Amino acid sequence: MVDRVLNVEDMSVKYPGRGGLITVVDQVSLSVDAGKSLVIAGESGSGKSMICQALLGIVPGAGQVSGTRMDWRGKNLLELDEAGWRSVRGSEIAMVFQDPTAALNPLITVGSQIIDVIRTHRRCSRSEAKNRAIESLELAGFSEPAQQLRRYPSELSGGMRQRVAIALALCCEPSLIIADEATSNLDVSIQAKIVTLLHELKDKLGLALIFVTHDLGLASEIGGDLLVMYAGSMVEYGPVQSVLDNPSHPYTIGLLQSAPTLHSTRDNPLKPIPGQPPRPGTIGTGAPFVERCPVAVQGVCDRKRPTWTRVGAGHQVACHRFALDKEGGSL
Amino acid sequence: MTPIIDAKNITKVFGASRSPHAARALNDVSVDVYPGETVGVVGESGSGKTTLARIMIGIESATKGQVYKDGHLLESRVDWRNLRLNVQYVFQDPFTALCPTMRIGAALAEPLSVHKKCPASERLGRVSEMLKKVGLHPDMARRLPVQLSGGQRQRVSLARALMLEPSVLICDEIVSGLDVSVQAQVLQLLVDLQKDLGISIVFISHDLRVIRYLCDRVYVMYKGEVVEQGKTGPIFENPSHQYTKNLLASIPGARHDKSTPVVQVTS
Ligand SMILES: Nc1ncnc2c1ncn2[C@@H]1O[C@H](COP(=O)(O)OP(=O)(O)OP(=O)(O)O)[C@@H](O)[C@H]1O
Ligand SMILES: Nc1ncnc2c1ncn2[C@@H]1O[C@H](COP(=O)(O)OP(=O)(O)OP(=O)(O)O)[C@@H](O)[C@H]1O
Ligand SMILES: [Mg+2]
Ligand SMILES: [Mg+2]
Repeated sequence: MVDRVLNVEDMSVKYPGRGGLITVVDQVSLSVDAGKSLVIAGESGSGKSMICQALLGIVPGAGQVSGTRMDWRGKNLLELDEAGWRSVRGSEIAMVFQDPTAALNPLITVGSQIIDVIRTHRRCSRSEAKNRAIESLELAGFSEPAQQLRRYPSELSGGMRQRVAIALALCCEPSLIIADEATSNLDVSIQAKIVTLLHELKDKLGLALIFVTHDLGLASEIGGDLLVMYAGSMVEYGPVQSVLDNPSHPYTIGLLQSAPTLHSTRDNPLKPIPGQPPRPGTIGTGAPFVERCPVAVQGVCDRKRPTWTRVGAGHQVACHRFALDKEGGSL
Repeated sequence: MTPIIDAKNITKVFGASRSPHAARALNDVSVDVYPGETVGVVGESGSGKTTLARIMIGIESATKGQVYKDGHLLESRVDWRNLRLNVQYVFQDPFTALCPTMRIGAALAEPLSVHKKCPASERLGRVSEMLKKVGLHPDMARRLPVQLSGGQRQRVSLARALMLEPSVLICDEIVSGLDVSVQAQVLQLLVDLQKDLGISIVFISHDLRVIRYLCDRVYVMYKGEVVEQGKTGPIFENPSHQYTKNLLASIPGARHDKSTPVVQVTS
C-alpha cells in the first residue's frame, strides 16, 4: 500500500510587484509517498526554495501561496492557522535550509539549540534530549559529536554548520524532511555518508524526502522521482533514472550537457545553455524556455503554454516539440 | 618568478592555547600562488580551507607563519589594507557577505566609490555590465539581498569582488549552489578573466570535477594539513594519499553506476 503523505496540486507563489502580482512558482503539482523521495533540480532562481518554504508555511516577505490542494497526512496545509503550522513544522515536516547560517542562532551553542528544539516537540528530560542531540550530530557526520555541543555556530566551518542544520532536522524524527541544497557545501565523502543515512531512514522508518540539488549525479543516488523546474514552472517530471537516461525537455538536455565530469578540462570547454532565464513576471503566454530553446517551434512555443506529454512510465514532459515529434507531425 | 601570494608555514590555533578546547585548525601549511595561475584547494569539511583563505587576506591572523605579497612580508595594517585592494575574497556564505539593507546596485557600486575607482557617472553602467557578466539581469540592481535566490546571491558576491578588477581572486565554494548551466557560465567567466586580465585565482571547492576543469595546480587538505599537492592532472590520475583516493572514488558521477557501492571514508 502506498502511503501518500504529501499531495500538492497547482500550488503557486506570487509576490506583489509593480502592476500586479508576479508569479515565482507557477502551478506546481507534486506528491511524495512514505519511504520515497522526490528530487527537485532546476535553474538558479526557478523557485525551488520557494516550493520548500511554501510547504512549511514560511514563504519570505509578502509572498502569497495558493493552490487547489496541499494535503499533508489528512491535513489541508492551505487552511492551517499559525498554531496548526507550529505542530507540523519541525516535528512532522522538518527542513534543512539552503542557508545554514540563518537557520542557526549565533548567540546560542549548538547543543542548546538542538536540545531546545527536541524539548519543544517531545516530552523528555534535558539529559534525554542531550543524548538525542549527540545522536543526531553523529548521524549528521560528526566524528566527535559530544564536542560540538558547547560550540557556537561561528566556531564551525561552513560544512559543519550545514551538518548541524541536518542534525536539527533529524532530531525530532519527522515524517518528511525537506533538504534544500543540504549537502552542497560538503565534501563528497561526507555527502556519501549522509545520502546513505537518508536511505536508511527512508527504508527503516518510512521517512519521506524532498531533496533539492543542482547535482544530477547526486540526484540519481537519491533516487525516486525527479522534478525539473525552469523559471517557476515544472518542465519535466518522472523517475530519476528515466529522466536522466531519457531527458526529453530541451532545458533538461542542456543541463546534462553543461555538467562538468572528471574528464572536463579547459581544453574542451563546458557548454552552458546560451542566454538568460526570463525574469519572473516577464514570461509571456508561450513556453517559459522558448527564448533559449534550440528546437523551439515558431508560432507554437511562443504562443501557447505546453501541457504534459507522456515520455514513459510516470515520466512526463511539458514541451511542444516533444509532443509534435511524438505525434509524428512534421511542420 | 616570485609568487604573487606566498603563505609560509601557517599554523592557526583557535581559542586560548592554555584552554583544553583550543583547536588547531591549521598546522604548518604553506601555499603559494603565481601570477596568472589557478590554484585549487580541496579538502574535507573542517580541514581549514576557509581559515587559510582568511589568513591569506588578513581578516584572521596566523598563530605562526607569514604571508608575503610579491616577495614582501606583510606586517603592518597598511600592508594588509593595500593587499586587500588587489586581492579579493568571495565568501563561502553569500548570505552573510551582503548587507541586508543595501540594494544590490549600491552594494556593487560601493567598492568603486570607496576606492574612487571611477567617476560617479560611470558607476551605474559598470554595475549593469558586471551583473550581466555573472548571468544576472541588470534589473537585479534594485533588489535587496533577501529578494534573491541562493544562487543569485552567490553571483552577486562574485560580481562585487570583481568590481575592483583584482589581480588575485580567492573564491570559497562559490559555485556550490549554482545549477550546472549557470555554474558553467561562471567558470567560463573565470577562465576568460584569467585569459584577458591574467589574474590569479585561488579556488576552494569540494567539487573535484570543477577543480579538475579549472585549476593548474591543486592542494589537498586533510585535518589542518596539506597532504598532497601538485599539478592537477597527475594528482587526479595518480593520487598518492588515501584521502585523495577516497575523494575521487566518492564523486557522485563515479558513484553513479548502481553496481559500485557508495564509498565510505574510514576516519
Ligand atoms: N522576497 C522575495 N521577493 C520577491 N521575489 C523573490 C523573493 N525571494 C526570492 N524571490 C525570487 O523568486 C524566484 C525564486 O526564488 P528561489 O529562492 O525559490 O529560487 P531557487 O530555485 O531556490 O534558486 P537557487 O538555486 O539559486 O537557490 C527568484 O527569481 C527570486 O529572485
Ligand atoms: N572562530 C573560530 N573559533 C574556533 N574554531 C574555529 C573558528 N573558525 C573555524 N574554527 C575551526 O577551524 C577548523 C577549520 O575550519 P574552516 O572553516 O577553515 O574549515 P573548511 O575547510 O573551510 O571547511 P568547510 O569545507 O566545511 O567550509 C574547524 O574545525 C572549525 O571548527
Ligand atoms: Mg534556493
Ligand atoms: Mg569553508
